[in-house]
Amino acid sequence: MRIEIARLTKTYKGKVPALDGLDLTVPTGMFGLLGANGAGKTTLMRILAGLLRPTGGEVRIGGHDVTTGSGRQAVQRVLGYLPQDLGVYPDLSAREFLDYIGLLKGIDDRATRRRRVGELLEVVALTADADRRLRGYSGGMRRRVGIAQALLADPRLLIVDEPTAGLDPEERIRFRTLLSQLAGERTVLLSTHIVDDIAQTCRELAVLAKGRLVFRGTVDDLTRRAEGRVWSVVTAGPAPVGGTVVSALPAEGGGLRYRVVAQSPPTPDAEPLAPTLEDGYLALAQGRPAPAVPAR
Amino acid sequence: MDLWRYEVRRAGWAALLTPPVATAALVLVALLDGGADTDRTTARNLIAALEMAMPLAAGVGAASLVGRDPAVELQLTVPTSYRSTLLRRLVVTLGWAALLAVLVVAGLAATGWWERWPGTHGVVAGQLVWLSPTLCLGGLGFLAGAAFRGPAAAGGLITTLWLLDQVLASALQEQYWQRLLYLFATTRGAVPGDWAANRFTLLVAALAFGAVAWLLLGRGERLLRGEAE
Amino acid sequence: MSAAFRYEFLMQVRKRSMWVAYGVIVLLLGLLSFRTLGDVLHDPVAKETVASIAFLVNLILPVGYGCFLADRLVRDDRLGVAAVLDATPASTAGRLAGKYLGACAAAAIPLAIVHFGFAGLYAAVAGRPVALGWAVALFAVVIVPALLFVGAFALVVPLFVPAPLFRVLFVGYWFWGNAIYPGSMPTLSQSLVSPIGGYPLQVMFGYPGGDVEIAGPVPGALLNFLRPEATTATAWLSIGVLLALAALVLSAAPALRARTTR
Repeated sequence: MRIEIARLTKTYKGKVPALDGLDLTVPTGMFGLLGANGAGKTTLMRILAGLLRPTGGEVRIGGHDVTTGSGRQAVQRVLGYLPQDLGVYPDLSAREFLDYIGLLKGIDDRATRRRRVGELLEVVALTADADRRLRGYSGGMRRRVGIAQALLADPRLLIVDEPTAGLDPEERIRFRTLLSQLAGERTVLLSTHIVDDIAQTCRELAVLAKGRLVFRGTVDDLTRRAEGRVWSVVTAGPAPVGGTVVSALPAEGGGLRYRVVAQSPPTPDAEPLAPTLEDGYLALAQGRPAPAVPAR
Repeated sequence: MDLWRYEVRRAGWAALLTPPVATAALVLVALLDGGADTDRTTARNLIAALEMAMPLAAGVGAASLVGRDPAVELQLTVPTSYRSTLLRRLVVTLGWAALLAVLVVAGLAATGWWERWPGTHGVVAGQLVWLSPTLCLGGLGFLAGAAFRGPAAAGGLITTLWLLDQVLASALQEQYWQRLLYLFATTRGAVPGDWAANRFTLLVAALAFGAVAWLLLGRGERLLRGEAE
Repeated sequence: MSAAFRYEFLMQVRKRSMWVAYGVIVLLLGLLSFRTLGDVLHDPVAKETVASIAFLVNLILPVGYGCFLADRLVRDDRLGVAAVLDATPASTAGRLAGKYLGACAAAAIPLAIVHFGFAGLYAAVAGRPVALGWAVALFAVVIVPALLFVGAFALVVPLFVPAPLFRVLFVGYWFWGNAIYPGSMPTLSQSLVSPIGGYPLQVMFGYPGGDVEIAGPVPGALLNFLRPEATTATAWLSIGVLLALAALVLSAAPALRARTTR
């Protein structure tokens, strides 16, 4: 399902626009959405999921116009949505919760629904705890329930907003693998501020800042933005200035080894390093205002 | 059918307990009335218990349906529209009150108390004794809930209205239009001849409240924002 | 305690839904008493006039007030705020007192606006500025104890009863315990435990005046032992009883919260 967004604007009453003239096309497959908190990612996710109505612009998902009620309904029938703050009903067990959501998603046949719920509980490894009340679930377990509910109706569009926040490293890897396996013929829109999640699963991504699109391309493209701009500096003194410090680790022989993203070497003895996606993202942030991105 | 069972759980203990407890409390008060020296007065008190408790329970119950759903964001993205889900919960809340009311009327009719107060107009038309004010206050509660998105404010409005109808009974019936909207016309009505018109008006009002509530609940964005802050 | 007070106060005061709901109620009240308002505003006796305003305010508005407060504590626990606050070094009792006073104060503001607003309007129209003084006295002695009483129950009872059920029982109690004539059935109205403040209103402010009594023993009524003769001493006693009951109810709060927070 292709997502076509043109001149999308969303302004809340009397406030700065959350989305300001966004143009974006999302093809089938895994697509990453990166940006700082407040960049407009959640607002965009909610508009695509049919929760919010845009103030202006056009949004078409799989050919359906999401600004109309019928278009939204059509999209929601094939949508799996995992919001950033997933609220659950604490008095239900995971199995009952998924059963309820399945009913709301239109899976009326009880046998089909029960089977599907069982399968998904297996996929997210919650079968053992399926009949415990959600009240007693940890954050990570709740997140897994969230993933399961998103997959219930075999969605063609999956929108996941900050899915790995609160997951431990093992859960995070399991989740990423799961998403990648799902991508195939589906469109999976992964919104996060954890760059590594996108680096490991997506080929293409977009970067939002202050409601605007500041980058649209492949992961390699964004990584290359930091080519020739990543340095390693070892010093026992203060942190190097003139760039963005990515990390600071204890160095053998005392002092700290800083990884810095900067236009030019921060110190004469800085060693160049191969860039990662995170470096590319920081280089992009440094380089703003970025040149206009041609609409695709 | 399965969906209805889940919505019953969503309506929760509040919807389940409130109508019977409220009715039982008022029946108790009715039976304690030392001034009821005639069967007629006792009958009136028992019927008043029904006419006063059910609408209050229904109104406050309906007022509590919007604004306390932890999964509202998810609910707004599923093909089943959230307002139809809320309507299901409203039907559960009002339906349970209605079932109890029918049983109470049956009980009162079987024990002969129902006929002892002439204002009831029999057992069939007499269902309007509880049905009209219950639907009216229930509809208003639903509307207040949709408008405020907070059970506290909506409940406060409903309970205050109920109290005003109790405390200012005579003042609220001086004019015809006021008598048409008086909730307790069967047992505390000033002009018994206006009863039928009153019951009908309350039903119409209920529909009007429900319609406006339906419109208000159409915009998901309002519901997502939570309580009117 | 002052931190809890400020937090709770701001949280409640910012609720637009509370203000709008109060607004609708006051509008209704105004419309209903529109015709008598004209007479009231020209009544030359300041004390009884302001007392009658206080009586009306104290009869109707605390119901909404109690409903607004009904799920404050429960909501905090559900939102997980309680855990954050529990981790601070402030004492639980102090924090609870701060929460209680903060929430009650915030919910009482619209009530105060109505009370002092009408008193001020009367003072201006009838040219009796002393009315404002009476308004202050009435607020302190009649209205505040009622609000503290209701506030305590409204915060604590929903800890073990669903809030909507509490609201229903509360308004039922309010009507039964304040407005029902004691001669017709057993009731707490017109007794020391009646939050509408019948004793102070009658003894200290001469309301309602004439032969009508709203406090004191009623011939043939049950529970007359709770209705001593209305004197200054019993008026103060009734205020004390209300405040003591409020404190008693609040003292049960920590135990109940421990039980309900899982």
